[in-house]
Amino acid sequence: MTMIHSRHRSPADAAHLRAVNLRTAAILVAIALVFFAGIIVSHYLGGAAAGISVLAIAIVLYLVVAIGRNVGSGK
Amino acid sequence: MSSTPHTIAPGEHAADHGYAHHPSGIMRWITTTNHKDIGTMYLWFSFTMFIVGGLMAMTIRAELFKPGLQIVNPEFFNSLTTLHGLIMIFGALMPGAVGFANWMIPMQIGAPDMAFGRLNNWSFWLLPPAALLLILSLFVPSGAAAGGWTLYPPLTVQAGMGMDLTIFAIHIMGASSIMGSINIITTILNLRAPGMTLMKMPMFCWAWLITAYLLLAVMPVLAGAVTMLLTDRHFGTSFFNAAGGGDPVLFQHVFWFFGHPEVYIIILPAFGIISEIIPTFSRKPLFGYASMVYALSAIAILSFLVWSHHMFTTGLPTAGILFFMYATMLIAVPTGVKVFNWLATMWKGAISLEAPMLFALGFLFLFTLGGFTGLVLAIQPIDVQFQDTYYVVAHFHYVMVAGTLFAFFGGIYYWLPKWTGHMYDEKLARIHFWLSFIFFNITFFPMHFLGLAGMPRRIPDYAQQFADWNMIVSIGAFGFGLSNLVFLYAVVKCIRGGEKAPAKPWEGGSTLEWTLPSPAPYHTFETPPVVQ
Repeated sequence: MTMIHSRHRSPADAAHLRAVNLRTAAILVAIALVFFAGIIVSHYLGGAAAGISVLAIAIVLYLVVAIGRNVGSGK
Repeated sequence: MSSTPHTIAPGEHAADHGYAHHPSGIMRWITTTNHKDIGTMYLWFSFTMFIVGGLMAMTIRAELFKPGLQIVNPEFFNSLTTLHGLIMIFGALMPGAVGFANWMIPMQIGAPDMAFGRLNNWSFWLLPPAALLLILSLFVPSGAAAGGWTLYPPLTVQAGMGMDLTIFAIHIMGASSIMGSINIITTILNLRAPGMTLMKMPMFCWAWLITAYLLLAVMPVLAGAVTMLLTDRHFGTSFFNAAGGGDPVLFQHVFWFFGHPEVYIIILPAFGIISEIIPTFSRKPLFGYASMVYALSAIAILSFLVWSHHMFTTGLPTAGILFFMYATMLIAVPTGVKVFNWLATMWKGAISLEAPMLFALGFLFLFTLGGFTGLVLAIQPIDVQFQDTYYVVAHFHYVMVAGTLFAFFGGIYYWLPKWTGHMYDEKLARIHFWLSFIFFNITFFPMHFLGLAGMPRRIPDYAQQFADWNMIVSIGAFGFGLSNLVFLYAVVKCIRGGEKAPAKPWEGGSTLEWTLPSPAPYHTFETPPVVQ
């Protein structure tokens, strides 16, 4: 891995990075909350088998999109 | 890959940002937001919990040394097996993996720190009170949880106050894990050095990125399950309470929906560590990098589709049994890709057998053995016979201990020079490896025979026919436990001094951390490197 020095991060860079970090974290927190509430609500409503199936599909899709998107883009 | 030495002196640039001086003494550790400090705390916490869980295992094996009840009563024995599982998984293995992530991810991707320093501090400091709750539950009047680490109702709905403490502890540890995974994902996605594309990332970071996604998806499900358990116990709901129209088997579905990916949450970081060690000591780049990434992703996705193989005896429909049986076997394909790629990396490499490589080879051999017994258990007609026998105990210890723990030992010896600035005592480390390898197999290999002969797990007493193998297993367990004193001595000796480690102590090391001086300065990569 060849590497060269880069410039310092400026305050503007830092503020931008912080905003991007917070946006990423907010999305991830929302996913966690949906899974937490989803499993309880699906059981509470009585359609537990359907609920867990929907959740399973949602999680698999989420993984495919979340991981696949990053792999595919080659960023 | 070639690298240009990147030397950032300790403290360089730090004064510009006003954090060159950090608190000293205990306040340094309580208030720190530095990824290296927090990584160190995670690793020591993990080792402490490993000792606590290990002492419980020693007590279990002392009780099982010969038939009959001799040391503990059956209720306490059940609490010990329950807490041993919970402490080892949530207290030792998971925090250990997060310790490695904290130390290595920023240094491997060229980031100055984790994305959220204070969140990182919180993630760690939630763990000690949670662990304390678990351990203290042994001393409440009704005793600790005793229904097994899987917390199946109806036992857990009916159990005493110790179960509430356990549920609370799981909530806290779950919150810690979710916060940690958010931090890791954000760090890897947003803080990589310029030029470091995802497909140029070290395999350890890839393994942790996928692990963090898994954590984020399943820890809330576990939290939901134990919350429902709590409301069943105290708020009159009947999610799992058959007396009120609930379904206890449903808990098993929800639990294993978390529980099976959890196995991969524990093993994937170990895969990452092994993927760093083997190329370094084979002096060759990792064979099939892209296929390794795809295999990791495939394992993660498949791990969500196999949970019911833990429940083959609960009366699933035939179509369900077939689906879960074949889906489970399918996981062997990406896992096989990884094993063959590690072997291909070593093929015609200039291999040297320092302690990290010995542990990696031990991992490869024993984890593959554990994987094979997993395939045996995936076959439903066989699983019905082996359900809740010592065969299952042998299988998952081959995966968890010889898999994850051996990888952790290898990883610690691999990065110890970078962390401490000293070379560890190679002779001691090799003694540690051989003691671990021999005693591990004496402990867990005979458990296959016990399981095949029908000895059930989680019992404090057993029939005379199982006596000989149990005695051998217990001797092996005591030896394995004592071998960890050698490890502790080797680590402490390395921290306190020894031969000075160069920036790149391993000739084959090619990732960014080896461009930093040893020990790694308190602040690193404040000027982001550009990877070409």
